Amino acid sequence: MEELREMACAWAEEARRLGAREAEIYVQDSGGISIKVFGGEVEELRSSASRGVGVRVLDDGRLGYAYCSGLEPEEVRRTIRDAMDNARYSTPDEHNRLPEVAAEGLVSPEGLGMYQPETEETPVERKVELALRLEELARGQDPRIRAVESAAYSDSVYRVALANTGGFCGSYRGCDCHCYVAPIAGEGEKSQSGFSFAVGKKPSDLDLEGCAREAAGHALMLLGAESMPSRRTAVVLDNLIAAEFLGVLAGALSAEAVLKGRSLLAGRLGESIGSEELTLVDDALMPSGMATAPFDDEGVPSRRLETVKDGVLLGYLHTVYTASRSGAVPTGNARRGSYRERPRVSPSNFYLEPGKRSREEVLREVGEGVLVLQLVGVHAGANPISGEISVGALGMLLKGGEPHRPLREITIAGNLLDLLKNLSMKGDDLRFLPLGGSLGCPTIVFDGVMVAGRS
Amino acid sequence: MLDLSLAERILRRALRDGGDFAEVFVESREGYSLRLEEEKVEENVTGRETGAGVRVVYGESAAYAFTNDLGEASLLETAAAAAAAVRGSSGDVVVDLTADAPRGAGESLPPERPPEEVPRQEKLELARRADRAAREQGQEVVQVIVALGDSRQRVLIAASDGRFREDERVRVRLLVQVVAARGGEIQTGYEAPGILGGYELFERFDPAELGAAAARQALIMLDARPAPSGPFPVIIANGTGGVLFHEACGHGLEADAVFKDASVFAGRLGEKVASELVFAYDDPTLPGIWGSYLLDDEGTPAARTPLIEAGVLRSFINDLKRARRDGTMPTGNGRRQSYRHLPIPRMSNTFIAPGDLSPEEIIADTRRGIYAKKLGGGEVNPVTGDFIFAVTEGYLVEGGRIGDPIRGATLIGNGPRVLEGIDAIANDLDFDAGMCGKDGQSVPVSTGQPTLRVGELVVGGTAEVG
Repeated sequence: MEELREMACAWAEEARRLGAREAEIYVQDSGGISIKVFGGEVEELRSSASRGVGVRVLDDGRLGYAYCSGLEPEEVRRTIRDAMDNARYSTPDEHNRLPEVAAEGLVSPEGLGMYQPETEETPVERKVELALRLEELARGQDPRIRAVESAAYSDSVYRVALANTGGFCGSYRGCDCHCYVAPIAGEGEKSQSGFSFAVGKKPSDLDLEGCAREAAGHALMLLGAESMPSRRTAVVLDNLIAAEFLGVLAGALSAEAVLKGRSLLAGRLGESIGSEELTLVDDALMPSGMATAPFDDEGVPSRRLETVKDGVLLGYLHTVYTASRSGAVPTGNARRGSYRERPRVSPSNFYLEPGKRSREEVLREVGEGVLVLQLVGVHAGANPISGEISVGALGMLLKGGEPHRPLREITIAGNLLDLLKNLSMKGDDLRFLPLGGSLGCPTIVFDGVMVAGRS
Repeated sequence: MLDLSLAERILRRALRDGGDFAEVFVESREGYSLRLEEEKVEENVTGRETGAGVRVVYGESAAYAFTNDLGEASLLETAAAAAAAVRGSSGDVVVDLTADAPRGAGESLPPERPPEEVPRQEKLELARRADRAAREQGQEVVQVIVALGDSRQRVLIAASDGRFREDERVRVRLLVQVVAARGGEIQTGYEAPGILGGYELFERFDPAELGAAAARQALIMLDARPAPSGPFPVIIANGTGGVLFHEACGHGLEADAVFKDASVFAGRLGEKVASELVFAYDDPTLPGIWGSYLLDDEGTPAARTPLIEAGVLRSFINDLKRARRDGTMPTGNGRRQSYRHLPIPRMSNTFIAPGDLSPEEIIADTRRGIYAKKLGGGEVNPVTGDFIFAVTEGYLVEGGRIGDPIRGATLIGNGPRVLEGIDAIANDLDFDAGMCGKDGQSVPVSTGQPTLRVGELVVGGTAEVG
């Protein structure tokens, strides 16, 4: 770890020696495995080991980028020169700059619970067994579980070091692991699938039994599902899927989207955009979060940020560039997929702040409505500019606060902002999804939503 | 790129615990890309990458492990990771790579102007020329985006069946996208030629011409009137229309889709599936064409595959895995985006072969119809072949002549039925360059077509019926 940090710092120095006015070195060393099993056999195994360096050079506001795989000093030196050459031919933009080095220093990575040696130390064979056991557990939940469509285990381990000519020099390491299972329940002609996942920092964090039980439970509960007549009603999003909605919202909070005129939240700072129940937090310092890190991918210290508080829009997510262009403060939301990419705005651990009620209390309070357990086509069915949403759903009709009968072929439609205004309740069961970053949401309730079905 | 004896050791390690087949794919790639937006250089990136992937196949299962550290220890570890999915034992496997005639790199025509020899200043100037020419077409041009990219990719494939082969591919492409606006109306124009080769691309295509052409398209369409609706004879111009064949028919000819029964062509080999005028091929051997290569990414020599001849379905395109399963010869279409990806059956340059007529003869022979000069994005249901494509530049055909431009037209139809309905094919075959996405992997492909006429195709337009 120390070694990567020293490399990054030395190369930032080297860039200055080679004549770069300002330069940033990003070093990434990552790896992981994903295992899919089917019918007691490994169907697909993928393993990766990847490291490389991304170099950003700023020459009077002119930006050049270059990257190389591996950590060979000769290659990195060539890459620094490439970035310098590229900068020479770029158009100056005064907002291209390196972050100020924070006076207060950085949070120590040690307290953030990012890394667990167990993930790296567990042999592949053991991870294969884990996926096979998950499949078996799901199958064994009930005689009506006919098959398991897929069961999977995956993990990733990463080490990052970042240094720039402004004196920044930092590093951290982290890891994540997930499992996923999708059993199929059948009875006579009827058949229905369910799914669930679990996330953790190490294999032994994963609650395989709970994951199998929830997935099989949903499949069984949804057996014999039918549509319902269209009507306006309360909609409860189960915490298994509620966070899928937040992706669209996080996209609209990106200052890059705002500056390019591609956000439905542009120009609405200080305004109410949702009910008082709506508080949205981006917290890269959340202990053990999937996107937790002491600093972002351009060296801005991480922080906990409330972008929406009690329904009022307080701010957008920024990189140094978007903050400079908007006259705002960088929020530490510069991220990159790999060393091949320049940093762009992206949420870290982004979640809807949970309430105090248990899930059961929420359902009891709602009484009548629709409990959604699966969503279909959230990304295709949501327009990030207009906020229009139309997504398919599967779930349960609620009667007296209890699941009454299974529903399928129903569509939830409306405008995202109208939905947010009608957010009426939230549970205490915050849950993070390993989907498109780290999005978290408790069970939530929207009042008066148009649910379209067939009569 | 990789020593023969090390390759043998990697493959032996990969098969130590069993498995039917092992392969190592080594890649080195360097590339440059430049993007001009609002006359500003928005992106200016150089990248260099090397890596290797090891595949172990056993029965229906596959394990794939990759690394970008090409040291011996790392490569053997990668082989061991792929082998971890196999739970058996087979003892020592004999892998002998010495018998293979090395081929590939030596046989490819080197690019006339390799990307490394073209200075950045000149690359920037090429992009600027396209940008200026587009803007000079008129005040109504409101946005121009120009992207220039070049890449050099070297690959080496070694496999337990004795393959030990290399190929090298240099590619250059320029994209120009223009938006023109008048009042509330917005129209776009687009040109994007590419080459398997170097900067000699710009001897064939003048960047200023490309910029001007993209701008003219957008401007012409501002003057267009709403398209009519209903069934019409539709003449599809050369080059552009190939995308329709690629999307609505080509994907259904890929052996993995056929196997999953996600293809209208499944089980129809030897049957008549198109008008007898139709001859269609997939051909990665065409010199200088964007989607070409000498060897596919599994080391199978590139070859011309007849897809449809005289309207009869002749063959599918496949990779090693599907060829083995179907008991057929590999067609040389096992391709992958990079060392991070598994090979799958992909098209290369797919086209409908030219006929005898001149395009003018076909137009003169059409009393009333639609002339689709450029097609834009489309959507296809691969299982049924149903499609919708937008006509981004279209005209009415009236009394055997090209008439007024029309906007908002879409072509609605079914891939196989369109093939049946082709009633005239011209002699002006041309290709468009594109990137084809499938299963999360993107590879360069060309789509080709001469000007042709479909006897009847439903046009969705916005004009009031009157």
